[in-house]
Amino acid sequence: MFHNNNEKIMMKRHWILVCLFGAAFVGCEPSNKSTPNSTGSGPAGVTSGKPATFTLAWSEYPSWSVFGVADELGLLNKDAGKLGELEKKWNVDIVLKGVDYDTCLQMYGSNTADAVCITNMDTLGPATDRASVAILPTSTSVGADACIAVGVNDLDGLKGKTTRGLERSVSQYAFERILIKKGLNPKDFPFSNMDPGAAASALQTGDTNVQSIMVWNPFVMQTLRDQPKSKKLFDSSEIPEEIIDMVVVGKDSLGKEGGKPFASCIIDTFYAVNQRMADPKTADKTLVAIGANFSSLGLEDMKQVVQQTRFYKSPEEAIKLLSSEEFRNKTMPAVADFCVEHKIVEKKPTIGFDSPDSQVNFDTSFLKAMTSGK
Amino acid sequence: MIRRPIPRWLIILLGILGVVSLLAVYGGLSYRQSVINEKQKVIPGLQAFRDGVSRMTTAQGTEETPKPSMLVTDLRATYWRLFLGIGLGVVLSVVVGIAMGAYRWIAAPLAPIISFFAKIPPTAMLPIYFVLVGSDQTMFTTMVALGIFFTMAQSVYLAIVNDVKDEAIDKAYTLGASDPEIIYEVIWKQVLPPILDNIRLQIGPAMIFLLAAEMLVGAEGMGYRIRMESRVLNMSIVYIYLCIFGFTGLLGDWCLLWLRKKLCPWYDR
Repeated sequence: MFHNNNEKIMMKRHWILVCLFGAAFVGCEPSNKSTPNSTGSGPAGVTSGKPATFTLAWSEYPSWSVFGVADELGLLNKDAGKLGELEKKWNVDIVLKGVDYDTCLQMYGSNTADAVCITNMDTLGPATDRASVAILPTSTSVGADACIAVGVNDLDGLKGKTTRGLERSVSQYAFERILIKKGLNPKDFPFSNMDPGAAASALQTGDTNVQSIMVWNPFVMQTLRDQPKSKKLFDSSEIPEEIIDMVVVGKDSLGKEGGKPFASCIIDTFYAVNQRMADPKTADKTLVAIGANFSSLGLEDMKQVVQQTRFYKSPEEAIKLLSSEEFRNKTMPAVADFCVEHKIVEKKPTIGFDSPDSQVNFDTSFLKAMTSGK
Repeated sequence: MIRRPIPRWLIILLGILGVVSLLAVYGGLSYRQSVINEKQKVIPGLQAFRDGVSRMTTAQGTEETPKPSMLVTDLRATYWRLFLGIGLGVVLSVVVGIAMGAYRWIAAPLAPIISFFAKIPPTAMLPIYFVLVGSDQTMFTTMVALGIFFTMAQSVYLAIVNDVKDEAIDKAYTLGASDPEIIYEVIWKQVLPPILDNIRLQIGPAMIFLLAAEMLVGAEGMGYRIRMESRVLNMSIVYIYLCIFGFTGLLGDWCLLWLRKKLCPWYDR
């Protein structure tokens, strides 16, 4: 095996240790190098030259699967180094990562994603460590989160019985908020952790330990359909515009070269797909395409889904929500209180509206630019 | 030269060096992440770990209804489920394995079924358990027990077939032993060491199985906590929990090795 003495001696030394140290620091180079030349041409703030690369993490949800559809339509190209129609317009390379919701949160929190599809409530957690800018509300839950029970007919009957659902999530938030709104004390209604998929299947198979669940779509629809004995006790239509699905960009990413066109391109894409949903010629096709990216639901199901998950179809609607007194002074403070009470955050992040210094900043400037651009 | 012996002090030194370089690599990664974002919780530093430990160990609940700390609650839940599940699984598989090894008419119908189920990854069976045995303590125990039962029953059976020679059994019969005596004196004593080794090997799969289940349906326990805390990126807590797994795994390993030395001193000879 060995041809001379020198090689033998080499092998005796512990090169492995050296390699270990070396390997640990390989790949320490920060990614996302953007090219630093910018001369305005095309839409405002758009750079010329090689487009900068940004990552958007999305999970399957009606108003977020829009981005998966945008890739299929050629508006965006999910891969790095390839540009879709709108990516060319804004000269930015958006990499789409379609992953689980929990993974989305982790990717965003660990700076591996520049932007993320996330609910208003879940934004507060990462925001204490990574200042965040909410650029686009995509939809609100108006019935998409529901409490479903078997063998319990009303809220009196639910008292003292455990409801299962994902703890520290919008499910628990909606559960408690609706009870409070009905003048009841959430402490009388125990809530215990279970994955929504597992909870729905437990209720459908008649598990005697699970009599009541609080889940979101598609589990709401499936459970009501597949468990004839089930009854919907209440749903999020009692708290419209409190659970907001949105797109959030890290303030650090937004500040990078090409960050602003990246934000604009996301917004542009979202409304482009919304227009296809509004146009009678393409409406059904687009809905089917979204359904294919959301638990493989068909057209009829999707028609119901978009009733319960109301899209903010235009920048005007989005601006109206973000400017409303109700959302600014009641909803977001209530959400923040809930997060502290349930230890989702240790300390409330500062929440602001068009105030760049807040840890969570609801920024309408990109939406406003979109309305004037028309 | 392959397998050239090295002095004891070098072994210890290199061992320490390994641990130190691991810590150094961690420190380097943590520092690098802090450069990207100074408030990062992804690869936490020392201070974050201290905060994590204090959060884990502070008692929960109110003064009237005190509850133990997060760590105590989770450890109790998970290890109780684990011990009960492994215990049940081991007893069941040893009984079935020995019965199969002793009597051909028991082995004939069971062996094909058991070797078939032993090939199915237990985590893939999770949804079945959710549906069949509900979602309580019973479910966790059943799934851990059944999760290790098939592979273990099979290896106990094979250990008897391969290790216990016909001559030994014939000799015992010649000396006037009854069936139960042969099962205890010849078969049991000879397969005890492989059984103990098998338990050691099954701790890992049992944990994988239990954690996967806890992440989905647990309302307390290590798997539940890891999922919840990693959702909000409290990685300091997650890492500490991982370390606890490492140490308890090692401890379990040592205990079983010690037990084997104690019960079957002849085995290592």
